Amino acid sequence: MNLKIVFIDFLYNVRSWTRSRGTVFWSLLFPIMLILLFGAIFSGMGETTYTLYVQDLDQSENSTAFVGILNGTGVLTIEHVTTSDPISDYIREENIKNLLVIPKGYQSNITRSYIDPSVQVNLTYYFDPTEQQTNQILRTVISNVLSGVNMQISQGRPVIGVQEESTVTENFGFIDFFIPGMIGFTIMQQSIYGSIERNTKFRKDGILRKLLTTPITRSEWILAKMLFMLFLAFISTSVAIGVGILAFGIKVNITILTIVIVIATSFLFSGIGMIIGRFVKEEETADMAAGAISFPMMFLAGTFFAVDAMPAVIQVIAHALPLFYVNEGLRNAMIYMNQSEAVLNTGIVLVFAVIFFIAGVLLTKWKED
Amino acid sequence: MIQQKFKCPHCGEIASFYGNPGERMAVSCPACRSKGRITIPMAAKENHYAIEVSHLKKIYGDLIAVNDISFAVKTGEIFAFLGPNGAGKTTTVEMIEAIRTPTAGTIKLLGFDTKNGFNQVKERISILPQEFHSFERFTVRETLTYFSHLYKKRANIDEIIDMMDLRSHEKKLYRTLSGGLKQRLGVALSLVNDPEIVFLDEPTTGLDPKARREVWEVIANLRKRGKTVFLTTHYMEEAEHLADHIAIIHKGKIIAEGSLQELIERYGEKTTLFIKSCQSPDALQLLEEQGFEVHSQGNGDLTVKIDYKEKVLEVLAQLRHDCIEYDGVDIRRSNLEEVFLRLTGARLTEEAEP
Ligand SMILES: Nc1ncnc2c1ncn2[C@@H]1O[C@H](COP(=O)(O)OP(=O)(O)O)[C@@H](O)[C@H]1O
Ligand SMILES: [Mg+2]
Repeated sequence: MNLKIVFIDFLYNVRSWTRSRGTVFWSLLFPIMLILLFGAIFSGMGETTYTLYVQDLDQSENSTAFVGILNGTGVLTIEHVTTSDPISDYIREENIKNLLVIPKGYQSNITRSYIDPSVQVNLTYYFDPTEQQTNQILRTVISNVLSGVNMQISQGRPVIGVQEESTVTENFGFIDFFIPGMIGFTIMQQSIYGSIERNTKFRKDGILRKLLTTPITRSEWILAKMLFMLFLAFISTSVAIGVGILAFGIKVNITILTIVIVIATSFLFSGIGMIIGRFVKEEETADMAAGAISFPMMFLAGTFFAVDAMPAVIQVIAHALPLFYVNEGLRNAMIYMNQSEAVLNTGIVLVFAVIFFIAGVLLTKWKED
Repeated sequence: MIQQKFKCPHCGEIASFYGNPGERMAVSCPACRSKGRITIPMAAKENHYAIEVSHLKKIYGDLIAVNDISFAVKTGEIFAFLGPNGAGKTTTVEMIEAIRTPTAGTIKLLGFDTKNGFNQVKERISILPQEFHSFERFTVRETLTYFSHLYKKRANIDEIIDMMDLRSHEKKLYRTLSGGLKQRLGVALSLVNDPEIVFLDEPTTGLDPKARREVWEVIANLRKRGKTVFLTTHYMEEAEHLADHIAIIHKGKIIAEGSLQELIERYGEKTTLFIKSCQSPDALQLLEEQGFEVHSQGNGDLTVKIDYKEKVLEVLAQLRHDCIEYDGVDIRRSNLEEVFLRLTGARLTEEAEP
């Protein structure tokens, strides 16, 4: 293995890539536009009033007064919650983004604290971590009101505290759902089409025949191309995440699993591209075959819309598609922080990647008949 | 006793014979059984042939694309493989380049059997595939440096750029080059590893006549640098202009082989003297009476077969003697097109030349 050739090939590819307006458009601008467009359509941007749900379990003079102070700030709209269900179920079913619970015993604990300074009482603030901006504001309001009240009852000793609970439910915004999907989709497109170009256009143009008579080996060439594909994949991932953060304030966790999925996706779809390139010799036909595979996959595998909202048949199909696990894996790893699901998805993506990439490499043939 | 290879003048078979230096002996070809005499040279010459092909065959389904051909290319010569579209040129050259696998036969490149030893010669050969099209967004210079990095042995890129007259284009992107420039760069590319053998598969197809001549110039340059060139073409002018040795391939078979001179002598028509607008209606008869082979082409135009050059003067002297007036004369030599027509009854190029 001559790594110098691999590296030089990679560098030449990057340089030639920067010269192509088309590829720069498709791999950078297009995803940005799509994210901005879908984000603007589907997530209610520019919210100005903030709703805080309050469940007052104490129903005392003190607790009512506290809610009154919150209301008096004029920043929030208070919605009173009366429910006998467990509060987490209620939050999930009603899709509640912010909820403050005043516990039973609020008033009695405050009274006891005058005698016993160690007594404290904790409110619970449930929030949706994807609604960063709103959280920030509500949190500020709540903590200002609390320090005011603490000042009154105990000269500032924190008798009343607040404990935060992130409501990790399906309450994420559309954009949180969409950005991982966009990343998976972009890497899929780049990898399939890139791989097809190398296996059909380069064959037709005689480049593969020329390479076959030079000392470069197929493994060196494929390795160099995979380096380049990973470079593209990481650029696209960064761009999508960057747009998500800057334009929509999403919160992203770049974990090892995220990176593993990005790499595996690149190998997976490069492998599929190689397989197509082996059986379809004409570049145009191969591009059509790639479209025929990737477009339905894009819709069925939950790139734009959640699979569980789809008919049962489609859900079954979706679970057979590698892109589904890429999307799920990226979402669980990057956004939902659902580690165990993410590990499972990553494992499935890796298995697909190994199978398709190895099949692709084995089927790639430079020789002519 | 030393071993020496000889090529059969009838079937092209390369056969080895043993003898003492200087010994003359009667032998028969192991392939076609024709008899001949050979002289074992004083010392066996190593690698006299850069390429040796023997009984090469390629079958696609029902089609025999290359039908049991044998030939050898001498080191340092330009060898033209001339034949119409579909004759089997690309199939043959790509079998030699180990891109396609022969159905039967053996190929030796620089003494190595390509079946197992092709890797040993990769550094020493270079190819320009038919209709080659390089990376769109590499500049001319980058294309040359990219391919040169693939080899251990590297020629000086600047020298190649100057020699191929590409200096003023070196910063242009490949996709912006004209067809002629692309082919010139293609030939230039085949020099980046300073190879001993260069294969060019139809390097000028589709080019206009001016661009074609420019590519011819760079190919002629390769011979000056001592390269062995294996060139395929369906343009007979190209073979006439460039080749030291020509093999004519038709329907997968080599139907004639030799230098241009040899081919024309062996298969061509006699040279003809063309007499334009002869004023006398009796001229034909008068010349025939003198023993010349004369044909009328209508409108008083006559052609006379010439088998030795003094005959031209004799014909003209006769006309003068008989006081016959004419508008002018022209001498027409036979060419490869005629050779091909004679051998196959078909024309080399079906379509009109661009
Ligand atoms: N891969 C192939 N499969 C089937 N037939 C082929 C293949 N390659 C070439 N042929 C046939 O073999 C013959 C010779 O083709 P080729 O070597 O390309 O001719 P040339 O280069 O002289 O134009 C043609 O009839 C062509 O159709
Ligand atoms: Mg050809």
